[in-house]
Amino acid sequence: MTDETGAGRGSASPLVVLDGITKRFPGVVANDDVSLELRSGEVHALIGENGAGKSTLMQVLYGMYPAESGRIVVRGQAERIASARDAIALGIGMVHQHFVLVDPFTVTENIILGMEDGQVLHLEEAQEKVVALADSYGFRIDPAAVIEDLSVGEEQRVEILKALYRGAEILILDEPTAVLTPAEIGDLFENLRRLRDDGKTIVFISHKLDEVLEIADRITVLRRGKVVGETTPVETSKAKLAEMMVGRPVLFDLEKPEVEIGEPILRLEELRGGRLHGCSLEVRAGEIVGVAGVEGNGQRDLADAIMGLRPLEGGRIMFGARDLAGLGTGATRNLGVGFIPEDRHGQGLVLDMTLWENAVLGRQDDAEFLGRGGVLGLRKIKEVAVRLLEEFDVRARSIEMSARTLSGGNQQKLILARELETEPRLLLAAQPTRGLDVGAIEFVWRQILYQKAAGKAVLLISAELDEIYALSDRVVTLYEGRITAEYPPDAPPEEVGRGMLGDVAEAAAG
Amino acid sequence: MAASGVAMPTARDRGRPTWLDGLGGQLLALLAAMGIALLLGSLITIAYGENPLEVYGAIAKFSFGDITGFGYVLANATPLIFSALAVAVCFKGGMFNIGVEGQYIVGMMTAAWGALALDFLPGPVLMFAAVACGMLGGMAFAAVPGILKVKTGAHEVVTTIMMNGIAVSLVAWVIAGPLRYEASGGGFNVNLRTDPFAENARIPDFGHLLGVGPSANLTWLFPAAVVTAIVVWFILRRMRLGFEARAVGASAGTAQASGISIGGVQIKLFVLSGALAGLVGMQQLLGDKNFLPVGYEAVLGFTGIAVAFLGQNNPIGIIFAAILWGVLARGETAVQIETDLPREFIIILQGILILSVVVTYQMAKRRLFARQLQKAAAVEDLADSGAPGDMDAIARDDR
Repeated sequence: MTDETGAGRGSASPLVVLDGITKRFPGVVANDDVSLELRSGEVHALIGENGAGKSTLMQVLYGMYPAESGRIVVRGQAERIASARDAIALGIGMVHQHFVLVDPFTVTENIILGMEDGQVLHLEEAQEKVVALADSYGFRIDPAAVIEDLSVGEEQRVEILKALYRGAEILILDEPTAVLTPAEIGDLFENLRRLRDDGKTIVFISHKLDEVLEIADRITVLRRGKVVGETTPVETSKAKLAEMMVGRPVLFDLEKPEVEIGEPILRLEELRGGRLHGCSLEVRAGEIVGVAGVEGNGQRDLADAIMGLRPLEGGRIMFGARDLAGLGTGATRNLGVGFIPEDRHGQGLVLDMTLWENAVLGRQDDAEFLGRGGVLGLRKIKEVAVRLLEEFDVRARSIEMSARTLSGGNQQKLILARELETEPRLLLAAQPTRGLDVGAIEFVWRQILYQKAAGKAVLLISAELDEIYALSDRVVTLYEGRITAEYPPDAPPEEVGRGMLGDVAEAAAG
Repeated sequence: MAASGVAMPTARDRGRPTWLDGLGGQLLALLAAMGIALLLGSLITIAYGENPLEVYGAIAKFSFGDITGFGYVLANATPLIFSALAVAVCFKGGMFNIGVEGQYIVGMMTAAWGALALDFLPGPVLMFAAVACGMLGGMAFAAVPGILKVKTGAHEVVTTIMMNGIAVSLVAWVIAGPLRYEASGGGFNVNLRTDPFAENARIPDFGHLLGVGPSANLTWLFPAAVVTAIVVWFILRRMRLGFEARAVGASAGTAQASGISIGGVQIKLFVLSGALAGLVGMQQLLGDKNFLPVGYEAVLGFTGIAVAFLGQNNPIGIIFAAILWGVLARGETAVQIETDLPREFIIILQGILILSVVVTYQMAKRRLFARQLQKAAAVEDLADSGAPGDMDAIARDDR
């Protein structure tokens, strides 16, 4: 294994060696004889599908799980890391996917939490240290700001500073970009490059291939608990990485079926309310309309308004000849609208109910399921649930399990199964692949394209431009609660990007 | 994961249902909690200079020593089953009905009115009519906080607590005024109560069928309470209302997005809860005294909260929790007669029991969830399975 980063980074002797790590959970081998080397001054991407064992491996390194076998060598010395405290002492820091910050505390208070000397806090002194630390890496952060006032990107910066304050030389970032906007991702990458150039080692856990190719010096791919390969961005490509991860070729460019575009199914006229300030658009049968936009420009309110989940101040939602405004969610659904909500846990599933209950949720009053006197036909419901789980490849041990036990991909498949079972004329898909891995994304995309092929109308709201491009027949941009422009699916991304920022003087297509 | 040698699971494999695991875990947790409570209780007993074995022996003797003793236990449990069910029904829908207390007091008042005003009804029809009046009274009184919650957003905990006060005063006024016992002659305070009801308003004795002495006052209400618990279980588990209620309780956002009318479900639950609460007072009213005194037995609604908790809001669990509570209540008598301990010892024991239940149930719940995850891990990697969803929470905050 020679140094192929091309930039001459890294030293000959590795900083950390994970040697033959095996970690079992009951019924599954999460890490099966995994070996990995981390060199100083590199960004090392660890990629794989959900369940490939990448988080587990890093949690072993961070002292959160003991490994059944294998060695961890740090700076040439075999170490036993039994707790996060041990890991921190060895200069290993980890930024978890969901942050562990105290909301009413300031940035400084959060950073020094657990590192205080004595009983009296020397906040000013600490603040100076924090400022010096932030400045040395060019992190823009106000040390006196209160956490709850910060954006997600800023909170992440605090988490990274927390680790650095504790002397981290090796920084493990678990899916750091999953929660960020594109601009924040740019900032993060800039910060990470600076840290790397300063000699820090960064482990970047991800399944977003474009990002990995952009930031990583070396890439290790895990599949089903095993290392399937190690490569560099120069040697590989998105398609190759995806194939390594999934174990079969993955199509990123799914073929859009040729469908005759029919009559308008959904027509929004000047919707107002919440973050919507006069949003108008149209979706026709056999057509997928992609709504692109930076998050926070009214995406959530748009979906909620169509589904009757939020009141409107004005405007009409014409579904065929009917106005859905004020109709209520149940009636909207019964007219033939399927809904994949962006908030899978808060709107899509009842996590503490069983899979079969979730599989028919919203259809409990269908004549098919509801017997006389309001008694549910459990046998019929379970029959349908079993069929749906099979048809949509939801991997679960039993329909009696709670939805909480499913992975994100399987949860989303369950929602798709439920929503598509009734063959809705309109599918409203909001961020349908958020947080999913490559295999699941492909599955969801295919299902959405099937809808088009079947002549249904699809309104796709997504923050992922890739997804919009992959699926849409028409792209519209949402900015400050208004549709600012419309583009064909082959418009250059820069142009669509301008529409996403409301800068459409020349586009003027909306 | 097929590759790791685990058989490819299919949805057809039904496996052991979650609720069964839950029930087993609950029983274990309850036993452990009782063990802890008895242990701590014996420390107190010893500190008091009594022999714990004798104290517990006395409680056991009074509760299980003979069939009449056990009849007392079941009679104690009867109103608690109803009040705990009333609490549980709302709880399943994510609401906390503190107002079972007021609802049952009002229910006693309306039942008393019914028993007196409808005394022309023949035979047991009067009894059923009085019970129905009690349920209607509870329903009407419970509907108010339900409607206030749905229409104005007023939190049910606040409104139901306030309405408890209204109920107490209302009933005091009714007993002192419209329904006052006029035939008593002198003695203002002594006889402050309603007129006695006709004998056919009385709920007949059930205990004699089991050989329980009449002093235990075990009426047909006890089997009715058991049947009611089963009916409530059926509603929650097998009927549309229960399905929707559980969805609303576990995730209001998802329930709403699936088209369920949250307000409608909440009002229905409150009314159902009120109907159950209306039955709480029937034991003392129609099973025992056959009139409504101003010094009626209160606090059964609040005790119902503790019993519902002990039974983890599971209707079947509530039957057993109420019986356990009945044993402790019986223990109050035992302790006073057979030992030198004050009756407050039993109250302390009840408190300790609830505290240990809090702890052991939480532990059981964690273990159960860990087990579920492990089972799921046969299909998916444990460590990563929860991860993707976390973003949803953050997305929500982004709004």
